[in-house]
Amino acid sequence: MKGTYLGELEEIVLLIVGILYQDAYGVAVMDEIKNQTGRDLNISAVHTVLSRLEEKGFLKSKMSDPTGERGGRRKRVFLLTAAGKRALENANEMRNQLFNKIPKVALQFGAAL
Amino acid sequence: MIKVSPPKWADRFLEWYCNPSLLEEIQGDAYELYGRALKNRGRRIADIQYMWNVLRFFKWSNIKRSSSQPHAGLMMYRNYFTVFKRGFLKEKGYSFLNVFGLAIGIACFLLISLYIKNEYSFDRMHSKADRIYRIHEILQSDGVGERSASQPFPVAEALVNDHGAQIEKAVRFFNFQAPTLAMATIDNKKEFNESRVFSTDSTVFDVFDFPLIEGDPKTALNKPETIVLTESMAKKYFDGENAMGKYLKFQGNTNLLVTGVMRDIPLNTHFQFDCLISLRTFDEVYDPRVPQRWHWYWNPCWTYLLLRDKRDAPALQAAMPAFVKKYFPEFVRNDVTMELFPMTDIHLKSHMDYEIQPNSSLTTLYVFGSIAIFVLLIACINFVNLSTARAANRAKEVGMRKTLGGQRMQLIGQFLFESILLCLLSVVIAIAIVVLLLPVFNVFAEMSVKTIVLLEPFYIGVLTLLPLVVGIISGIYPAFVLSSFKPITALKASPNRESGGMFRRALVVVQFTLSIVLLVGTGVAMDQLNMLRKSDTGFTRENVVMIPVTRSPVAQNYEALKNEFLRNRNTVSVTALEEVLGAKHQVGNYIFEGQEDSRPFPRLTVRHDFTKTFDIPMVAGRDFSEDVRTDDSLALVVNETFVKQMGWGSNEDAIGKKFDNIPTHKIIGVVKDFNFTSRHQPIRPLVLQLNTTLRAFDVRIKYMAVRITGEDVPGTIAWLSQQWKAQIPGWPFEYFFLDSDLEKLYKAETKMSKIAVVFSGLSILVACLGLFGLSTYTAEQRKKEMSIRKVLGGSNAHIFVLFSKHFFGMILIANVVALPLAYFVMKRWLESFAYQVNINFGLFALSALVAVGIALFTISYQAIRSANSNPAEVLKRE
Repeated sequence: MKGTYLGELEEIVLLIVGILYQDAYGVAVMDEIKNQTGRDLNISAVHTVLSRLEEKGFLKSKMSDPTGERGGRRKRVFLLTAAGKRALENANEMRNQLFNKIPKVALQFGAAL
Repeated sequence: MIKVSPPKWADRFLEWYCNPSLLEEIQGDAYELYGRALKNRGRRIADIQYMWNVLRFFKWSNIKRSSSQPHAGLMMYRNYFTVFKRGFLKEKGYSFLNVFGLAIGIACFLLISLYIKNEYSFDRMHSKADRIYRIHEILQSDGVGERSASQPFPVAEALVNDHGAQIEKAVRFFNFQAPTLAMATIDNKKEFNESRVFSTDSTVFDVFDFPLIEGDPKTALNKPETIVLTESMAKKYFDGENAMGKYLKFQGNTNLLVTGVMRDIPLNTHFQFDCLISLRTFDEVYDPRVPQRWHWYWNPCWTYLLLRDKRDAPALQAAMPAFVKKYFPEFVRNDVTMELFPMTDIHLKSHMDYEIQPNSSLTTLYVFGSIAIFVLLIACINFVNLSTARAANRAKEVGMRKTLGGQRMQLIGQFLFESILLCLLSVVIAIAIVVLLLPVFNVFAEMSVKTIVLLEPFYIGVLTLLPLVVGIISGIYPAFVLSSFKPITALKASPNRESGGMFRRALVVVQFTLSIVLLVGTGVAMDQLNMLRKSDTGFTRENVVMIPVTRSPVAQNYEALKNEFLRNRNTVSVTALEEVLGAKHQVGNYIFEGQEDSRPFPRLTVRHDFTKTFDIPMVAGRDFSEDVRTDDSLALVVNETFVKQMGWGSNEDAIGKKFDNIPTHKIIGVVKDFNFTSRHQPIRPLVLQLNTTLRAFDVRIKYMAVRITGEDVPGTIAWLSQQWKAQIPGWPFEYFFLDSDLEKLYKAETKMSKIAVVFSGLSILVACLGLFGLSTYTAEQRKKEMSIRKVLGGSNAHIFVLFSKHFFGMILIANVVALPLAYFVMKRWLESFAYQVNINFGLFALSALVAVGIALFTISYQAIRSANSNPAEVLKRE
């Protein structure tokens, strides 16, 4: 069902929004992704993901107060919702669970094939 | 702070497309990035980056949609589609007629346009095509002589020597002027008579791009006695074994080494061949014992020049008179004109004597182009008519939509959407039809076009524009008229209000006018063709067996063979002559009494019994006689036109006129005029010359002609073949019938009339589909009226007449417009022929009758139905 599944990029953006807390808007998210993961995204891609996450209910947003920068344009600042937090926790948990199920041997010798 | 000023137009574009509720954040982010880039990387990069970002933001989710209801647009289209689907299925008949009619029209248009495109593609596959010219030799004095597509042997070399600055390469093609040549493997296991053999210079591969699969194009034809084969020919003789390095026996006496194998020659070239022999093999043709001036007179070589730059052509053309003066022998010098002709124009524009293969003509293309447009137009009119007629029934829907808040623009959008969708459907069906029919059509029109060409920009353009244009035209009327109704009127209005009737009637008139013009045109064209093919040419064509004899051992055995042939009681007469009578002639230079210098005249070299064999009457003097031995060199026979042209008064006066300034050389007879070339040309002066020498068989005498009675033809042919084998062992007996060979002269017209018949038939069909739909619609509309009439005492016949009356009116008007128009157009077309068929007014009456008949038949189905309907059934429904 729509809204329950988190894509890889969506997960990263969601995490970044969490990291930036109160300061997560388009350009900032883009920069932070670059800093944290080295991935170069186009701003429009970031916008798309942000609005998709908002549609799914993982994010909420509000417009900031105008400043002199950006030609006087306001920013749309995103915040994690409760559902967003849960989605992150679920994803994290599932990953850990799966990781723990890998036999030790596989991790030791996996590369020796 | 840095002043933010990203490129204005990009900014405006962003503001134009962007959804206002998203604009602020998007623009803000874009500005921020711009400012940053400006600071770090300079203005240019910043500008470019900004534009890039604006472009990247241009996606569905950000685009501004219907301002009041953000997603209503899409939702409504879904609804339109549903309504469209229901309407389509509810009235399956209409929908089928509508879509299918248009599809047929589009398919016809596509097929014809493929044909036209193919005609224009001739000879363009060579990379240097635009620099290749053929040089023509026009040898004429007072309009008599020849307009030759070919040149004397030495011309190519002399041209390259003298004008090397402009001419890069020259290449000659020579086909021995023989219809077929014998070719065999060394062991004689495979023997064939080949008709598409040329010998050519080694430069052929420099000028043309005939791709060699094996062999080196630089050296393949360098040496004498070498040959390059096409793939098919290599397969034919060597069964898929490697042909390279093997030998083929040519004319039983020359072994040719295979030095190359090339791809088969595509169909869209103005001449085709199966093999090329190096011209150096036949140096002996260029016999040094013959005086040089004769080499510059005999002109059997099609000569192509590769110019260094096509802009040099005018300069080269201007240098031709001096060239002629320098080289051509004195007796023709003043009559020769050389003409450079672009190779890519040959197929459509060159109509010289001795073309390698019959060419097509621009007129034909214009005819086809008009047919294509006519058919498409008729189909579009159908579509518009049926759509508008159906739309009138939807007034109630419009009223309902308006009541529920539908805006006018939305309604217009809906109608346009539906009609464009229908058109798209037709286009899809049309493409399917084309894909299915193309293989058949390829055979029919002798071309090899692949379906893939539909992906070319032109067709993609046509196939997208067409549904848009037709869709908009057919949708625009209901869109604007219906959407302008006030909801209350629309809801109240009775469904059978006749709106746009005038417009539809006018369109039906146009449709039928076009169809009738096509009918008449096709009829006249076929009449003309039949006249050309069938009418009396002044000589007997039937039951004449032609046997190619060029360069064969017949020379020594001619008399014996003739006598053997005549021993069969079904053999009427035997002769031999220079060319296929009625198709081609040669030209000779003569000085006749009253002329100062020699002039070129059409000429045929013949043997005795020529007039007897072809049943050509003498009108004065006598024929060549076996009893007068000097006839061979001292006598000529001419035709009536010749006498007229010379201004000698009567045919009798011509007898005894001297030629070549020698008192013993005299004209001995005048034959009745006959068409010695195709009837595209009027009869011209002709000289018949007797030549009984052995050498005549080298180039002058090319065929034996045997007239038979027509009884027991297979037996007679077997007899001829038997005698041939006895007299000329080891030489294949080859023959054809004169009348069937002459059919080839009108190949272009035959092909044209075949295609024209099919497509004008289709145009009538499409027009009728439309008429049928329209009459069905009218029947529906007037159902109640007719029922009431019946209740009040109207008879079935009365109802029938009433119903068909107004359709007849339209067809009559169409006739009144079409017939004079067709007459005028066909009159103009006929003017391009030397022999014109009298326009047959019966044909006009017939076409009119056919149009009315078909229309009546189409309408009558509905007319009878509405006349026979039970009024109670109809009326109780309301």
